[in-house]
Amino acid sequence: MNRRLWICLVMLTLVAAGFAGHASAQKPIKIGVLTPLSPPGDAGAGQLIVRGAKMAVEEINGRGGVLGGRKVEAVIEDDGGTPEKGVAGLRKLASQDQVVAVVGQFHSSVMTAVQQVAEQFKVPVFATQASAREITERHLNYTFRTHVIDADRVTIWNRWIKERGFKRVAMTAENTDYGVGLVEETKKQFKTMDVKAELKTVMFDRTAVDLTPQLLEIKNWKPDLFINGGIGTPVYLTLKQAYDIGVSPATPMLITYDAPVRPEYWKTVGEKGNWVTFFAYYHPTMKLPPRGEAFRKRYMAEFKEEPVYAALNSYAQVEVIADALNMAKSDRIDDLVKALLSGKFEGWNGTITFPRGEGPYWQQWSPPMLMIQYTKVEQAFGESKIVAPAEFKTGDWVRPPQ
Amino acid sequence: MDPVLVSQYVLSGVVIGLIYSLMALGITFIYGIMKMINWGMGEFYMLGSYAQYALIATLLGPRRWWLALPLAMGAVFVLGLIIQRLLLRPMFVGVVERRDEYATIVTIAMMVFFRNLAIVVGGPNQYAPGDYAKPTRLGPLPISGNRFVALIATLVLLALFYLVVKHTAIGRALRGAAQNRVGIQTAGIDVLRLDMIAFGVGVALAAAAGALLAPDFLVYPENGAISTFKGFEIIVIGGLGSIAGSVVGGLLLGVLEALGSVFISSAYRDLYGFVLLILVLVVRPTGLFGERERTV
Repeated sequence: MNRRLWICLVMLTLVAAGFAGHASAQKPIKIGVLTPLSPPGDAGAGQLIVRGAKMAVEEINGRGGVLGGRKVEAVIEDDGGTPEKGVAGLRKLASQDQVVAVVGQFHSSVMTAVQQVAEQFKVPVFATQASAREITERHLNYTFRTHVIDADRVTIWNRWIKERGFKRVAMTAENTDYGVGLVEETKKQFKTMDVKAELKTVMFDRTAVDLTPQLLEIKNWKPDLFINGGIGTPVYLTLKQAYDIGVSPATPMLITYDAPVRPEYWKTVGEKGNWVTFFAYYHPTMKLPPRGEAFRKRYMAEFKEEPVYAALNSYAQVEVIADALNMAKSDRIDDLVKALLSGKFEGWNGTITFPRGEGPYWQQWSPPMLMIQYTKVEQAFGESKIVAPAEFKTGDWVRPPQ
Repeated sequence: MDPVLVSQYVLSGVVIGLIYSLMALGITFIYGIMKMINWGMGEFYMLGSYAQYALIATLLGPRRWWLALPLAMGAVFVLGLIIQRLLLRPMFVGVVERRDEYATIVTIAMMVFFRNLAIVVGGPNQYAPGDYAKPTRLGPLPISGNRFVALIATLVLLALFYLVVKHTAIGRALRGAAQNRVGIQTAGIDVLRLDMIAFGVGVALAAAAGALLAPDFLVYPENGAISTFKGFEIIVIGGLGSIAGSVVGGLLLGVLEALGSVFISSAYRDLYGFVLLILVLVVRPTGLFGERERTV
């Protein structure tokens, strides 16, 4: 009797283990998308990042998933553009949702807080558009970035300032990791690159809405170039208020990221948005490799507009994670990280690798940096010209009317 | 120091201080009558800006922004009446024991609700109605046409408010309620109805500020946060419950921020108001125009 009971128990255990194994095989693999979806974060960017990540998930599942048939699921979390919400979001994604990686980080101040928690939880976190130098300079094991580094961006615009012969450069920036880093880097590189121009920097609080005092100070200093270092709503507030008090368009304005390519740009700023020069990392005239080109076609078919870099980059990050999981043949995070570090992955604009280089070039891949100018009100992004750097140039920079 | 720059800063401070005093007036007016703080005031500013944008973008077009302004104020006034009737009236009809706590919880809940409603309905992006007027000059100050319009409209609204409160029967009743809620009832006046009107008018003033500043300060779910913050600073400086204190406090705050920006740094602009606020609290805790409450 006892023997029969034991045999039954062993059989039941084996059956249960079989079911458990089967269930585990079918369990979807979760990838977190932690991004700003509400103010004071740049929610416009967050929406585009979610768009790209979701399209990647659809595509991966359409191909049959990863690891021989497991579906991928995107878990969306709002970081609101604040470090405290970002940290709470990362904790939830890592402990409750048990994601294998997190993409979507946009604000440097959020990323610098989130990456420390990611290190504790041992979850890879990807900077999608957070560019502060320190993010990768900290040499953390679970931080990856497929976006430019501030220092490189500053180098490009300083070169442009030298080429154009600007003599008085004014810059406003918000009091965040991004803004402070940008100002410090610009000051530093003005010296190291021997830029023969005076530099005036004015900081403002990120939550400020009336920037008149700062802009009056700039106007009375009489710059010949004005760098608008706002992110999200402040970039628009600066642009509008600078126009209203007569700083721009007479003084050319340089915007430090690709806000002007967003669909809401012209609706928000109207004619005041003309003549700006801005940084971008993708232009519709660029020739893309197969993965990027396929995404562009799908995106245009679905949304009836040109894809924006934020979507391209989050899409590529999710695809890279899926490829790395397949390469690792495992859903264990340590194996995933090993695969990310050793593999070569197809991105939206070339091969992505994560070498452990010097300084900020640690687990870092940078897209091309382009300086683009609008010369017509309501100009389509595709019609705008790349005015620098020389290797990508499609047109000459035009001085705005005085 | 360049005198032109100083005069530009002072003028810009006066302009923004006066516009912010609309918010402060709304807060202090509600407090004066209902003896409660509306912590959700910024959300009525935000609703005013959304209503203005929606009216201009869908019904009236950019040229009739001046018609959108009273409509936006009216819509928020009606919303204020409804909220007062449904959510705040129970404070005064014997149901609620802890009135202050009740008012705080209800108005903070309103704040969270309206902010999230704006995200759900309008999305998290910012919007901007077209400009009300072209950029112009106010003496030495180059100024946005929108802000110039906002300044004029603020002066008109303040004058209207003063006339109504000082020279009409409803104004006298409201002043009476502000002085003594029990006493006014002995004169046969329905104080609960006055509460509704006070709340409606208070939030409509905040909506006016939101609608007037919408082209310059944009329309997005959290755009009321800074103006509420300034509004509370102003009423503490000017004196809670004092109408004159709201205007003088607004002017003082605007000018001080401007002078601090020019003589110290514009980067710490929001700090100067706090320094003034602390000084006022130390020297005159009731604010410049506030009076110590007397109870028997």
